[in-house]
Amino acid sequence: MSILSNWRKNKNKKRQNDNYRQELDRQKPENQVILRNIDENIFRIKGELGNSSDLVFRDFKLGSLRGTAIYIDGLADNQMISDFFLESISDSKVDSNQNLFEVLMRKTIGLGNIQTITNWNEVFDSFLSGNTLFFLDGYNRAIDVETKGWEKRAITEPTSQLSIRGPRDSFTETIRTNTALIRRRIKSPNLWLEPMKIGTVTQTDIGIMYIKGIANEKIVKEVKERLKRIDIDSVLSSGYIEQLIEDQTWTNFPTTYHSERPDIVASQLLEGRVAILVDSSPFVVTVPALFIQFFQSPDDYYSRFDISTAIRLLRILSFFIAFIGPSLYIAATTFHQEMIPTTLLIAIAAQREAVPFPAFVEAFIMEVTFEILREAGLRLPRAVGQAVSIVGALVIGQAAVQAGFVSPVMVIVVSITAIANFSTPVFSMAISARLLRFILMILASILGFYGLLLGITFIMIHLCSLRSFGIPYMMPLAPFSLRGQQDVFIRFPIWAMKNRPKFISKGNLARTGENQKPGPPSQGQDQTNKGDQG
Amino acid sequence: MENAKINGSQLFVLIVLFEMGSAILFNLGGEAKQDAWIAILLGLLGGILLFLIYYRLYKFFPDLPLTSYAQKIMGKWIGKIIGFLYIIYFLYIAARVLRDFGALLVSAIYTTTPLFVINTLMMLTIFYAIHKGIEVIARVGQFYIMVIYLLAIVGFILIISSGEIHWGNLLPIYENGWKPIFKAVIGQTLTFPFGEMIVCTMLLPFVNDQKKAKWACLGGMILAGINITITVIINISVLGVIPLSRSSFPLLNTIGRIEIAEFIERLDVFFMIYLVIAGFFKVTIFYYAAVAGSADLFQLKNQRIITYPIGLLILIASLTIAESYSEHVVEGLKYAPYFIHWPMQIILPIILLIIAFIRYNKKGSSPSGEQGNQGNQGN
Repeated sequence: MSILSNWRKNKNKKRQNDNYRQELDRQKPENQVILRNIDENIFRIKGELGNSSDLVFRDFKLGSLRGTAIYIDGLADNQMISDFFLESISDSKVDSNQNLFEVLMRKTIGLGNIQTITNWNEVFDSFLSGNTLFFLDGYNRAIDVETKGWEKRAITEPTSQLSIRGPRDSFTETIRTNTALIRRRIKSPNLWLEPMKIGTVTQTDIGIMYIKGIANEKIVKEVKERLKRIDIDSVLSSGYIEQLIEDQTWTNFPTTYHSERPDIVASQLLEGRVAILVDSSPFVVTVPALFIQFFQSPDDYYSRFDISTAIRLLRILSFFIAFIGPSLYIAATTFHQEMIPTTLLIAIAAQREAVPFPAFVEAFIMEVTFEILREAGLRLPRAVGQAVSIVGALVIGQAAVQAGFVSPVMVIVVSITAIANFSTPVFSMAISARLLRFILMILASILGFYGLLLGITFIMIHLCSLRSFGIPYMMPLAPFSLRGQQDVFIRFPIWAMKNRPKFISKGNLARTGENQKPGPPSQGQDQTNKGDQG
Repeated sequence: MENAKINGSQLFVLIVLFEMGSAILFNLGGEAKQDAWIAILLGLLGGILLFLIYYRLYKFFPDLPLTSYAQKIMGKWIGKIIGFLYIIYFLYIAARVLRDFGALLVSAIYTTTPLFVINTLMMLTIFYAIHKGIEVIARVGQFYIMVIYLLAIVGFILIISSGEIHWGNLLPIYENGWKPIFKAVIGQTLTFPFGEMIVCTMLLPFVNDQKKAKWACLGGMILAGINITITVIINISVLGVIPLSRSSFPLLNTIGRIEIAEFIERLDVFFMIYLVIAGFFKVTIFYYAAVAGSADLFQLKNQRIITYPIGLLILIASLTIAESYSEHVVEGLKYAPYFIHWPMQIILPIILLIIAFIRYNKKGSSPSGEQGNQGNQGN
């Protein structure tokens, strides 16, 4: 233990020392500023980047002075810069009496947002994030022009969270596109976006988005503090951020929500949640996340309330089936045969007669086989994927039964469980049920329903002890909140969901105005025009 | 003591689950035969009076559990002994309930599984709950009470539609006069389950709203009392008095009578779900009271230190408390009420209350002032 901690301490110290030395080098006053001599500046940039070949230097002449534009090929918009050189610089005649730096600035205005920098540290920030830097000989300043324009993936249909009536756009890998997708839905000045950079090496752009006045200030502050605390070299996906800011690592359940659908994120923002956007990740993280939220699908709100309630109840039921299906079967067939109706019991017993394994082993083999097939199907190239599913269907279905390895009932149980598992709208919740299912199966095979019940109680205690950014995870259920019930098992009609969930948003709670219940025109004069709202 | 707070409705839920607990499983008030339900209602009345005694004590010291204010009322050493006795008492009942529950499972369903395994697994789950604290226990309670009510309603509808209810079994009322009824009240229903509200003296300091605490407890007791009464009435009217007196677990037999369309039958699962949930909460609350009491008595900053040893004590006690199930039942029905429950639930609290009245009311000083002074002396 002490060796390990010593080693860790030393490592940390070493890392700190390295950082410190680099920092010291940068801190020296002569290293901090841009020099007047353009050759020295270029030499230094080349040196610090190790002569990387995607770094482009384009020399030009402005009046009597030499100048250089520096940008990274692929990150900056090549077309734009070339046009600029062709039209503006090459055929310009300037009076040498003028301040040439000002002239250059005036000319670059056409390219985009510009600013003057004098600090050496800003030089790298500038062109490494896609901007172009203009140096002019004799001036200890540089012009930083925003020319970001790399290859972007177009906005496509969401692939993991599908909806029937919802919008068809989904987030992409570019943070700017993502913020625009959200802002297009919420045209309010209160939608605030706070930028941040995380990752000592990757310098990934992070955006914290929330609606001022609806979001709980304390949660916003907590999110910022947790993000600021992060000290890591790289952030390659929002999954990194998720794992670094969640309340508890030792849990099987997701305590942050992520979505690739802008409409989901917009609706969460409107409920007072905080969204965390990470550049280069098409999934936006929202917090706080509550247990019941993982069973709400966007379609619940786009179709009428009776239908969406029924479907949501079905979804919760199928989560339970996915959770305890195989273990119920094991418990009933090994311990509590008397609870199965006689004719059914005879049918099951007749099928199981030739099977050489106890129910638990049988179920375990089948479940593991299915999990392997599913994982393989996910990773395989699309052309081969179909072959795997055919083989899988034959192996875990027909052939296994005919060979007498498993009983047909078991195949039915496993397939129902598998299908039920897919009906959970969010993958991170579905996978936790998949894992816990195996533990419950073991418990059920040891002590039948008693073991199963104790296992479920254990999980319940765990769920009730979880928190997401300080909000109890099982919130509208335990601690029970009567007002929160409008969107739990029963999705109330839109006009009846009068308030935002009190436990998440603070302050401005009213969601709908008075008298929003639609009705036919004959009922009253003041409702004549509201019939189209439902 | 733990620095946690629960609200009024959470306390209500805990009291309902705790009071219904194992009482529903047994032949409660069996001495009064078909009048058992009257004995239960009278027991409820007596229980409410007892609760008012505990509540009055709580009003003297709203922030302190029983183990602390016993020291304030009786002086440091006698108070400490009383507090210690109560901790032992909570431990004892927790062990009794665990044994009840384990024995029930062993004799009804898991006939070949050792009692040790059943009790140990239950204790592990409870240990986890205690480890997470009273807030989490209360939240789990809020969740499980919905499950229990769902089961109860479905079971009720099923038993009625099975056509097994014979109201005639309840007649004649007062067949043998009031004597057996009173005997059942004093010997059983007053102390079990209603007198067990003594445990709320340990829970009330955790409630964040003092005004709601009283009504949460009273409401919880009354609701639980009504539920137990309904269950007993159904048991009597389904099984009849004489088979009932012979049955160890009448509710299991009653559920066994459900049969609809030759498909919905043998709903023992319902019974088992209830059993596990009720047993879990009853043991958990006594266990928690014992842990909180010891943390308070021995002034431990972190009560988690003693959670594990006390849990182990309860587990061992539950296995060694009696040689056999019948010995356990006889102890529980004949001796425990008079020699253990009466002194701990009724006599000691009354003595404490009388002395508290004499000490604090005659001087005309407010108990809170006294409390502050004594607290300083103690330090």
